[in-house]
Amino acid sequence: MKTDLSPRIKVALYGLMCVLLIPFVFPTWWMITSSVKPISDIFAFPPDLWPRRFDFSTYAQVFELQPFARQYWNSAYIAAIVTAGTMIVSSMAGYAFARIKFPFSNAIFMVVLLGLLIPSEVTIVPLFQMFLGWGMINTHWPLILVPIFGAPSVFATFVMRQFFIALPTELEEAARVDGLGRFKIFWIIALPLAKPALGAVAIFTFLHSWNLYLEPIVFLSSTQMFTLPQALTQFTDAYGGAMWNIQLAAATMTAIPVLLVFIVAQKQFVEGLAHTGLKG
Amino acid sequence: MSLATEKETRPFWTIARRDAAAGYLFIAPQLIGIVIFVLIPLGLVFWYSLHEWNVLANSFNYVGAANYQMLLADPSLPQVLTASAIFSAGLVVLNLSLALLLAVLLDQKLKGIVVFRTLFFSPVVVSLVAWTIVWSFLLQNNGGINGMLSAFGIEGPNWLRTPTTAMISVVVVQVFKNVGLNMILFLAALQGVPKELYEAARVDGAGAFKQFRRITLPLISPTILLTSIITIVGSLQVFAQIAVLTQGGPGMSTTVLVYYLYQQAFQFHFFGYGSTLSILLFVIVAVLTFAQWQLRKRVVFYEN
Amino acid sequence: MANLSLKSVRKAYGEASVLHGVDIDIADGEFVVLVGPSGCGKSTLLRMIAGLETITGGAIEIGGRVVNDLEPKDRDIAMVFQNYALYPHMSVATNMGFSLEHRGASKAEIAERVKWAADILGLAYLLDRYPRQLSGGQRQRVAMGRAIVRNPQVFLFDEPLSNLDAKLRVVMRGEIKGLHQRLGVTTVYVTHDQVEAMTMADRIVVMNAGKVEQVGAPLELYDRPANLFVAGFIGSPAMNMISGEITQGGFAAGGVTLPLPAGLGASGRATYGIRPEHLILADDGLAATVNLIEPTGSETQVAMTLGEHSITGVFRERISAQPGETIRVRPDLDAIHLFDAETDNRVE
Repeated sequence: MKTDLSPRIKVALYGLMCVLLIPFVFPTWWMITSSVKPISDIFAFPPDLWPRRFDFSTYAQVFELQPFARQYWNSAYIAAIVTAGTMIVSSMAGYAFARIKFPFSNAIFMVVLLGLLIPSEVTIVPLFQMFLGWGMINTHWPLILVPIFGAPSVFATFVMRQFFIALPTELEEAARVDGLGRFKIFWIIALPLAKPALGAVAIFTFLHSWNLYLEPIVFLSSTQMFTLPQALTQFTDAYGGAMWNIQLAAATMTAIPVLLVFIVAQKQFVEGLAHTGLKG
Repeated sequence: MSLATEKETRPFWTIARRDAAAGYLFIAPQLIGIVIFVLIPLGLVFWYSLHEWNVLANSFNYVGAANYQMLLADPSLPQVLTASAIFSAGLVVLNLSLALLLAVLLDQKLKGIVVFRTLFFSPVVVSLVAWTIVWSFLLQNNGGINGMLSAFGIEGPNWLRTPTTAMISVVVVQVFKNVGLNMILFLAALQGVPKELYEAARVDGAGAFKQFRRITLPLISPTILLTSIITIVGSLQVFAQIAVLTQGGPGMSTTVLVYYLYQQAFQFHFFGYGSTLSILLFVIVAVLTFAQWQLRKRVVFYEN
Repeated sequence: MANLSLKSVRKAYGEASVLHGVDIDIADGEFVVLVGPSGCGKSTLLRMIAGLETITGGAIEIGGRVVNDLEPKDRDIAMVFQNYALYPHMSVATNMGFSLEHRGASKAEIAERVKWAADILGLAYLLDRYPRQLSGGQRQRVAMGRAIVRNPQVFLFDEPLSNLDAKLRVVMRGEIKGLHQRLGVTTVYVTHDQVEAMTMADRIVVMNAGKVEQVGAPLELYDRPANLFVAGFIGSPAMNMISGEITQGGFAAGGVTLPLPAGLGASGRATYGIRPEHLILADDGLAATVNLIEPTGSETQVAMTLGEHSITGVFRERISAQPGETIRVRPDLDAIHLFDAETDNRVE
């Protein structure tokens, strides 16, 4: 497969990839450029790849129509807490399942894995009732607690377990001989070596929290509390029609920071995901 | 030394006991979380499904299997299940074949391949709702896609307002959004196939296509299985795309199970029936996952 | 420094017993090698001494103190692992000072001890590097440095040379031996390589299938193996074993009669053992058909058929015979071994 290719085949492959790229790259490009077009230019025939006229007022309107800064902050701080919390909970559990011998560990692991079979959509009704009973409806607690401790973190625990299983046992034995207890072995030896897996878990968890949509619309009711995905769909005029250019401006602001982080750190992103326990 | 005295002289906190205590301490947050946020809700959802519960009417009555009878008699259910099946099947087939094609392309020795990898992967990190909004904008009757088609003299359909094209649209939008993940997993698997095997196959006279079919596919089959499970289970959870693009329409043509569940429970406030639909979703996920693990024994040729 | 004593030490995983009661006394400052085929339980025994495996029965004493229930860190031992187990995210100096750091030693004390150990092992110029920047031999030295830095009562080595190439292995063998002579710390060393065992040990413990087969000085095991297993395990190429019967006229075995020393008390069925290097070319010897000749330069190894038996001989002489031809050999009567056919034990 990986032989040196003839120039003709190379040109064909480049051509094929460029064509395939269109649906991957064009929407993002369209989103960014259209967000600075006046509404009348958005539906121009033929479509413009570069704005004929610039209109940045849409960006100001985003903040006038909704408490968008507040919503941005909501999404950001929730995603940050969920990411940090999941990293802690999952690395501890994954480590114990991989490395510590304790009675019923396999049975308990099977129970935890049930979380993979029970997506939060299945339990959304009782979760709503439970949080209603605890007075946590229209707060951010459901969006923080469930991902960190519930079903979404199980995948992270699984990834961490696979990583720790592959870590040489000798390192920990050496640490025991050197005088470390379990907690210090975990903290000083195992965790620093698990950076690639932790990175992958962080990326997955952040994106999952950042994209969460069903849960916010079920649990949150006031615009002050909304998260970004929910807020994006709320830019409608009095008749319920979408205010496209404003919506695209808000979508651009939602997408760009993560996209920039990805482009800067794409090597870590891609390789981190590829080299976790996902392979089996 | 007799066994009895030997035991008496041992401290209670032996190495093994201390370690076991540490183990329980480490898994405690996760286990307690699973009990509170997964197992108890799962029990509750079953309990609710045995009740007629209308929040607006403030009624909560035990009705036994009535909700399940209602499920079987629900005239909408066949449509919902069909829509779910078409969506999931279309998504898995398109996603996996495109992911494999892209992975094979990215596995070639070409300059600047990392740039292509980055671009193909980029939709994964674009906010889901943002991505979907852009597509819903492009798929409008007077939107960008039909605009481009008209440049070639083709009159495109009203994508989101025609049943067939609406389903195609939600599938395709979702495929482009997430195919990058599977692509990367396949790429890693392809790069894990020992080079000597290809060299040996070439010495044996196998061409590129035969090498792919007889060496590559069998060796990456564990990854194919794993990604297909993740993709299928993920496809059953799809919600935001439907809510933004079609709201389940036109008619009920894109109302998949989760969207129907959301409507019944949170728009019509039928929590009892919504819970019954949750149980159905759980059973489908469980059966599919189980079936795929069973399939592993027959289809996966090679495993470490 | 201390003596180390194992008293009917047993290990079982559930029903499966892997060590069936091991008794060994190791004197203060002694270098003892545990040797045996893979799966014989030697590594498990070492790990039990270290405290990395629990002890099912019996007692392990270090310096007269029962350590069965002590954590590894409380046993005052240091261990060198097969894959070195250097912490990849720490520099050489940090790796070496790590155990002292976690025993509350002061910075100055750690620095001093690390420098002392690094000087002994010639590691001073590597202290700021990370394990991935080191060669196999250098990693091996760092692993040893980490062990000696704390001045423990007992050193434990778990097949430390098995990842090195043949040449480096010989060098490191000498270094470990030299280190032991210099520091005089009680050492238990596990290997499956009998040459390592022979060249390094004060005493060798030969293990097989969870039992101790024989304990003794290297040459004692070579000269007087206690049973068939030890006889076959120690020495390379392996001892020739021929089963037959002790009779008046010699040892009768499948078509040949091998000579026996005069005044032998034993009789009956037995196994006749003769090392390849103890076969002598002699015109009055037994006729053997040459199958294969392998000259190494300093000596010649000959595979041949004697009666119905395939045997090997090693000779200082250069041999011009071709495969299929006949040479005449006789055993050195002072160097033959006889083993009981029933018990496999040595017969005098």
